[in-house]
Amino acid sequence: MITVDKLRKEFKKTVKEPGLKGSVKSLFKPKSEKVVAVRDISFSVEEGEILGFIGPNGAGKSTVIKMLTGILTPTAGSCTINGKNPTQNRQSYVKEIGVVFGQRTQLWWDLPLRETYGVLKEIYEVPEDSYNRRMAFLNEVLELEEFIASPVRTLSLGQRMRADIAASLLHSPKVLFLDEPTIGLDVVVKDNIRKAIEYINRHEKTTVILTTHDLADIEQLSKRIVMIDKGTKVFDGSIAGLKTQYGQIRELTFETGVANAAAVLEYAKHFSLGEEDVSVETEGNVVKVRFNSAAVPVSDILSYTLNKVSVSDISVKDADIEEIIRRLYGQGAV
Amino acid sequence: MKRKLKIYLPFVNAGMQEVATYRVNWIFFMLGEALSCFVTYFIWAAVYSSGDKESMNGFTMPQMIVYIVLMFLTGTIIASDGAYVVGEEIRDGSIIMRMIKPVSYNATFLFQELGNKLPTEIAIAAPMIITVEVIRTMISGVLQFNALSLILYLFSCALAYLISFYFNICFGFTAFVIKYLWGANMMKNVVVGFLSGAVVPLSFLPGVLEKVFLFLPFASLNYTPVMIYMGKYTGAQLLYYIGLQVFWVLFFFGLSKLLWRISVKRLSSQGG
Ligand SMILES: Nc1ncnc2c1ncn2[C@@H]1O[C@H](COP(=O)(O)OP(=O)(O)OP(=O)(O)O)[C@@H](O)[C@H]1O
Ligand SMILES: [Mg+2]
Repeated sequence: MITVDKLRKEFKKTVKEPGLKGSVKSLFKPKSEKVVAVRDISFSVEEGEILGFIGPNGAGKSTVIKMLTGILTPTAGSCTINGKNPTQNRQSYVKEIGVVFGQRTQLWWDLPLRETYGVLKEIYEVPEDSYNRRMAFLNEVLELEEFIASPVRTLSLGQRMRADIAASLLHSPKVLFLDEPTIGLDVVVKDNIRKAIEYINRHEKTTVILTTHDLADIEQLSKRIVMIDKGTKVFDGSIAGLKTQYGQIRELTFETGVANAAAVLEYAKHFSLGEEDVSVETEGNVVKVRFNSAAVPVSDILSYTLNKVSVSDISVKDADIEEIIRRLYGQGAV
Repeated sequence: MKRKLKIYLPFVNAGMQEVATYRVNWIFFMLGEALSCFVTYFIWAAVYSSGDKESMNGFTMPQMIVYIVLMFLTGTIIASDGAYVVGEEIRDGSIIMRMIKPVSYNATFLFQELGNKLPTEIAIAAPMIITVEVIRTMISGVLQFNALSLILYLFSCALAYLISFYFNICFGFTAFVIKYLWGANMMKNVVVGFLSGAVVPLSFLPGVLEKVFLFLPFASLNYTPVMIYMGKYTGAQLLYYIGLQVFWVLFFFGLSKLLWRISVKRLSSQGG
């Protein structure tokens, strides 16, 4: 369905030296600097798949989405969606896709929402009866009714986002690109939006690529994630795969009466562990130890702890995905 | 063609809705225009009263009044915001939203602006035409209204609007490609105003200059329709000037397509 092959995007940035002298200089002899935003990324997406596209700020996610939607032309490499090249024949390509950029709206600022959908209906040539059915459905999952008569500029962020997602789905696109569709939304709205995406994906086999910083989006929607950092792909696989590959992290939590338990225990020193393999947090009389179970077995840590200090309550659990990602982002990739 | 119309008609509607929202803006714009119309009138009144000639370069004072009113009307009919809107959309990145829709970028602008203008133009054109006719009748004592002139005038105005629209779009793209020449927009308005005869009828200019200016696209904006309405162009001359207008429409239409392509490439290396 979607094939991305060694996709690369370089931006030219004009750099200006500071001060008036710099301004004058750049007026006559602008200096430019090459920024590689996306570095030879390849991946493919099957029909009906929901791909979660994640990475820290500035990783290049939006740039990839812009290339896939035909807004930016790749510097090198290629992407094919449904057999089409996005930058060639833009008008016929965009008919088959739906796009939402969470940061900006694609709706007419001054039109009441209902009219906007009317405009989109004509643009995408949606027949009357399927349009009516579609609107009824979108109304139901995204609850548009309460603000459908208001001009777009008067909508709240959450309302606008729902309206935008409805707009991207109106023409039953084969592929849906969502760049941060849940940014700045409350829990209930987030949930509705996820439900809508899931429903469309299940019933219409819509292929979805979604970027987000909210890992709950990914956990609820997609089986597969592609992670990029500094323009390079660092992981491609299932969430379970991510957990087994990087997820030897365990979290030991216990309650103790000993005031300076962390100092007494000195895990790093005792087990000769590096900073990346263990970290300790103390909150009142609760101590949290995150450690790499590949470097030190769970049983060793447990018995050592129980022997050294008096413990009233203790538990060990798997690190959640968020923890793994935090480590990956923090290390500046792998 | 019919399908095309169906796609772009909603943009006319969208444009009409916008006007409803920004009616106050529009009223101020019209007031400003009317004011400059009065200023022009007083300047010419002074010029004519200080001179001793009845007619200057083929214009009598009453004809000059008609000219000024018609220039004002034509000016508002052909006014286009393209240069400004294109610049803004590129700068704030909202151009992206038009790119992900299966429609022609320039055409969406055109129809949106038509929707913007149509209701108001109809509302002001009729009273203005009546004013012109009343002035003319009062001065000469006979009704000079000529339906054919009016129809030709409106047709010529339509062509002039298209020239104005595509010219402004081209200007907007150019401003983007060679970076922000923003004061350029102001300067453009002054220069275009002069070259199109909005300040001084082109027949007031020395021979060679007049010929050059008449050929330039700017005369095709305001001057040609006004001359047609005043009955100064007839027969072969009329055909020539309408032909010239058609030529400039096609010229700027083609150029706008080309510049759109260049801008998209540019946008794509600089980013939105
Ligand atoms: N138009 C541009 N000109 C120059 N550099 C750009 C441009 N657009 C993006 N970049 C650079 O490319 C890199 C990737 O940006 P991008 O917007 O794709 O990141 P992202 O992964 O979407 O980040 P975020 O999570 O913050 O949205 C960044 O370093 C950014 O500064
Ligand atoms: Mg982004």
